[in-house]
Amino acid sequence: MAIIERHREEVAIQGAELPEILLPTNCPGCGIALEQEELRSHNYVCLNCAHHFRLGADVWIQLIADSGSWQERWTDVRSHDLLNWTVPKPYQETVERLLEDGLNEAVRTGTCTVANQPIWFATFDFGFVGGTLSIVAGERLARGMEQAASSRTPYVLVSASGGARMQEGVLALMQLAKVNAAVGRLHSSGAPFFSVLTDPTFGGTAASLALLGDINIAEPGAAIGFTGPRVIKQATYADLPPGFQSAEFQLAHGQVDMVVPRTELRPLLAHLLEMYP
Amino acid sequence: MSVWEIVELARHPDRPYSLDYIRRLAPDFIELHGDRLSADDPALAGGIGTWHGRTTMFLGHQKGRSLKERVARNWGMMHPEGYRKALRLADHAAKFGFPIVSLIDTPGAYPGAGAEERGIAAAIAHAIMEWFRVPVPIVAAVIGEGGSGGALGMGVADRVIMLENSIYSVASPEAAASIVWRDNSRKVEAAEQLQLTSREIVGMGVVEEVVPEPKGSASADYDAAARALDEALWRHMKPLLDQPSSELLQHRYDRFRYIDSLISAEPHFGPKID
Repeated sequence: MAIIERHREEVAIQGAELPEILLPTNCPGCGIALEQEELRSHNYVCLNCAHHFRLGADVWIQLIADSGSWQERWTDVRSHDLLNWTVPKPYQETVERLLEDGLNEAVRTGTCTVANQPIWFATFDFGFVGGTLSIVAGERLARGMEQAASSRTPYVLVSASGGARMQEGVLALMQLAKVNAAVGRLHSSGAPFFSVLTDPTFGGTAASLALLGDINIAEPGAAIGFTGPRVIKQATYADLPPGFQSAEFQLAHGQVDMVVPRTELRPLLAHLLEMYP
Repeated sequence: MSVWEIVELARHPDRPYSLDYIRRLAPDFIELHGDRLSADDPALAGGIGTWHGRTTMFLGHQKGRSLKERVARNWGMMHPEGYRKALRLADHAAKFGFPIVSLIDTPGAYPGAGAEERGIAAAIAHAIMEWFRVPVPIVAAVIGEGGSGGALGMGVADRVIMLENSIYSVASPEAAASIVWRDNSRKVEAAEQLQLTSREIVGMGVVEEVVPEPKGSASADYDAAARALDEALWRHMKPLLDQPSSELLQHRYDRFRYIDSLISAEPHFGPKID
């Protein structure tokens, strides 16, 4: 892919600029001792075994957006405890603690450029209640998609989500419909939708927008599916083979177009954006 | 009645199922089969019948009454083929201008390996998106269990109503307990937290109406339950029949796009509605 080679030059890996993340001392993939700086300059992909570490929204934004181009929208939309959810811990407390920790809901969205080409970008944040689809997450996704549709701007999504958020009950389920209504408009507008699925993407997120991209791109080894393996085993007593629901499994089963290492993602997106003007 | 008692009523093995209602609404009902790709999913019954003088497309999860039929119907849990069959029948309805009635009664989509291998997540995702493009009126009713994405995959409609003793939930109480506590035996607590009863759901503005059931619940009198459901479905369907399809689709979009507006407008919402 010679053209992608050109982008590799142009679109330098931004690893060195990425925020630091909390890392275990050893790689869960191969057990090698980890070096923060080295990993960071390699987009948090293990140099030894290519294990892809989970990233928060702040890292994904830096990783995708051209330096200085990110303009975040609707940061002030907030979650509330709708159902008086108290056990095992009060939902309101959970949300407030995460906000104090500097996270801002399970989806963040805004505009930026990739290799100087404007996009709408949204990324899940697995650190916020497992990246679960909530009213706020759904609202940010739907608004961004509506804006992308009306301006015919390419839409890029990064998913990392356990599904719909239990603590918002049936209204969390309704976000699947709310978001997919907007996905339909995005598709009708002719704007391209590139969906990047990372570890893990499950439940209501997989059953709504994540698998509806014009091109679905999965990270190596990412677990992707509808029902999680624990629930499948509980419900059917089935032994699941190794690699069940992995990105490679989803590629073999026709659900994603390609499995792409994180180090290749920006050059690929830059190239795709040129091909779908 | 406790929340768990309502869950048990919604799942009661004597409760009328989709075909019990459909055959009473449209005695000339003809079942149609197959997704035209690879299979027919018996967990979803679909077909045409004459209802209030016009040909109508009926779709409904079907649980099965005897053990043998339950196994055959997979307890009303659809595989990917079921969602493809639903969209195929929706296309059929759109071609001939038939309105669609969708009856929801499922614990959820089938949580098994085969469903995963054949793309259950994408099948549901695609169905939810495509319902917004079906240019004929759709009225849905939750008649028993409205479980998770498996239910919503059949639940995008212009109007959604619920029978009194039915439930609608982001996950079954067992699955929610398994997710939140990693212990599915805490299903009773989970059911209470989830606010999944018809009364609670209508209070959140997620469905238009709760249809009262006969004394002793729908199980006690199938005919009376079917008459009540028929009356409510038709009352919601009738005004939709005259709407231009562009208006219909815009309203369907808005119905779901702003479905949480009651909550957003009232951030301190929380106490249960009585």
